[in-house]
Amino acid sequence: MDTADLQAEPSGKLLPRGRFARLALGPPLALLVLMSLPPTIGALLLAFRNVSLMSPGSRWVGFANFARMLTDRRLHNALRISLLWEVVTVAGAVVVAVLLSVLIFESIKGRARDVICLALILPILLPRVSAGLIWRFMYSPLMGVVNYPLQLVGLPPVEYLSQPGTALYAVAVVDIWQWGLFFAVIMLKLLETLPASPLEAARLDHASTWGVHWFVSLPMLRPALITMLFVKAVESLRSFDLIYTMTNGGPGIATETLDLYAYQTGIGMSGRISYAAAMSVLLLILSTIAFSVLWKRSQRWSA
Amino acid sequence: MKLRTIGRQVSIAALALAAFATGARAAENECVGKVPVIRVIAQPILTIPFLDKNKGEFEKKWSTKVDIQQFGENERRAKSRLDASQGAGAYQVYYIDEANVAEYATNKWVLPLLDLMPKDWDWNDFLEGRRAVATYKDVAYFAPFEGGGDVMMYRKDLLAAKGLQPPKNLDELKKVVAALNDPPNVYGWSARGRRGSGMNVWRWTPFFRAMGGQWFDGDKPAFNSDIGVKATQYYLDLFKFAPPGSGTNTWSEVIEGFRGGQVGLIVESDVFGPWAEDKTKSRIAGKVGYAPPPEPLPSAGFAHGFAISSKGNPTDCSKTVSADFVAWSTSKDMEARKVKAGILSDFARKSTLDNPDFKAQVNPDYIKALLDTAPKTDLLIWKSPLWPEVGDDLGLQLEEVFTGSQTDIKQALDDAADQASEAIKRAAGQ
Repeated sequence: MDTADLQAEPSGKLLPRGRFARLALGPPLALLVLMSLPPTIGALLLAFRNVSLMSPGSRWVGFANFARMLTDRRLHNALRISLLWEVVTVAGAVVVAVLLSVLIFESIKGRARDVICLALILPILLPRVSAGLIWRFMYSPLMGVVNYPLQLVGLPPVEYLSQPGTALYAVAVVDIWQWGLFFAVIMLKLLETLPASPLEAARLDHASTWGVHWFVSLPMLRPALITMLFVKAVESLRSFDLIYTMTNGGPGIATETLDLYAYQTGIGMSGRISYAAAMSVLLLILSTIAFSVLWKRSQRWSA
Repeated sequence: MKLRTIGRQVSIAALALAAFATGARAAENECVGKVPVIRVIAQPILTIPFLDKNKGEFEKKWSTKVDIQQFGENERRAKSRLDASQGAGAYQVYYIDEANVAEYATNKWVLPLLDLMPKDWDWNDFLEGRRAVATYKDVAYFAPFEGGGDVMMYRKDLLAAKGLQPPKNLDELKKVVAALNDPPNVYGWSARGRRGSGMNVWRWTPFFRAMGGQWFDGDKPAFNSDIGVKATQYYLDLFKFAPPGSGTNTWSEVIEGFRGGQVGLIVESDVFGPWAEDKTKSRIAGKVGYAPPPEPLPSAGFAHGFAISSKGNPTDCSKTVSADFVAWSTSKDMEARKVKAGILSDFARKSTLDNPDFKAQVNPDYIKALLDTAPKTDLLIWKSPLWPEVGDDLGLQLEEVFTGSQTDIKQALDDAADQASEAIKRAAGQ
């Protein structure tokens, strides 16, 4: 056995790498399974019944809840909104992070850079509900600071959160404000760790500043960027609190994502727990498939 | 012999009654310190922080901690329904209202109230309208501490400046709000647009009922009739004179817009009258006129109050302490103390209307408007356990209409009616 395949035990003995991996990963994986399996099985069982919060009885209904989804206009809308939300927030956060980090890397040095990093981290420290409420007020057509410049020049205020065409993007701005700025700090710190010589070589070859980063530094950071994309994609699936606080899925159903619709159906006024569970199962299946495919692809992109 | 037997029976009955009465008192004494905590779910209207501030005296009486948890209206409804329907029993006292009393009573999630209240609590002192809303199938289920109907509130100064009279009917209403509309300084009108059986549907309903609308024709939803379309169109037309973003207004934004001086006229729940007169928060205190809603608008009666959870109170002591909390928080004395503290919007008792402190603090025009509106105040929603779901589905469709994502009103109401039919079918099949 190669010593590279051995790990030190507290007693000083070396363990085979496989056994070490099993010992290290076993307990957290077991905990993960214990914590995730019961709710998943519970959701599955509920999805095949007709449990409602409005009455105590329930019965087995087979695939009726899933069949209903085929004709549910609101569900189709929720799927479309969820997909749009994923694309806008993930792409937005990463683009903002890349642009901002390169800008700071190239133009600000020393202590000022540290202060800016600290400021950029602050939005992510704000609870989502607080961020949502603050921005909801800022977007207010009558009192909000966002509309103030328009009013100064005599233009009518924009109803950011009340117009179906702008509401989702207005909420996405808040999400990007929190995550994009945080990712910018991570990107900046990663840029600082890159070896200087490839960048200097590119500059000697008269590459522009953006060229240096586009062709040299960002390709070097590709694995980190892909990880960031994944983290944000998973996080964007859980934006319930932000959307709920800012628009509650409205106006109408313009910002109603699948998790929000499931909540409104199951816990909200309708109390149709089983139908909501069926939606959760659908979300689980769709996200598992999508992330598996993306994961496979990403390994190719990282290579 | 016969007389002696009757006499013996009477004596036994009297003894039994005395023993029962003594037992009840003993049980109360025995309960001190036996219930470590009672949890109360509530929404933050003015009464609740007042109770929270004064709960120490109740806690001292029973050696019990009172944990009042406050949520927004929709969250409060969702949370308490989840707790009740799943039998979790995390809350001993529920805050319930007109929209869910039928559902809670039908499912036996709350206990009949009067069996548990002390005699001197005086149920008959509550205003008739409040008692009617708190009662389902002749049984009272919650103790109201707030309620009322609708009232029209308008800026006297703005109307006077334009030489206008308060509108008396729906035609005049449209004309007056159009004349008042002078954006961005002031908007003629504001109303609830945000989805919800207690939000936009609540405010839309008087318009629907005023035009002769009925919720159901037999088992078939009828709110998608021509009358429903006409009422929705009228309500939508009024939004042309409302501040930007009103299509998703909650009642809170309507009131803040009005007392912030940005809106000229509203028809809202009468509890908000004193809000407009609160000099610390209102820019228009002293400038507001009150009148009944323009004819033929009826007034949407409502009441909010505390009910005793059946699952949350598994022991007699828990029931006793929870019931006493409800009695304490809705007592005559508590209403008088709220009035003294300047809380004039949350009352439910007749005795409060006669309270000299109340009379001294409340605008007489407001009291007159309340009395004039009383005869046309009624519960206008569909009194059914299915109402929260049906009302919410309708609210979503209305919000789509008010914000422009649905331009076909008939289609929107048809969709809501289909959902209502499906809910009825589902409930029947369960």
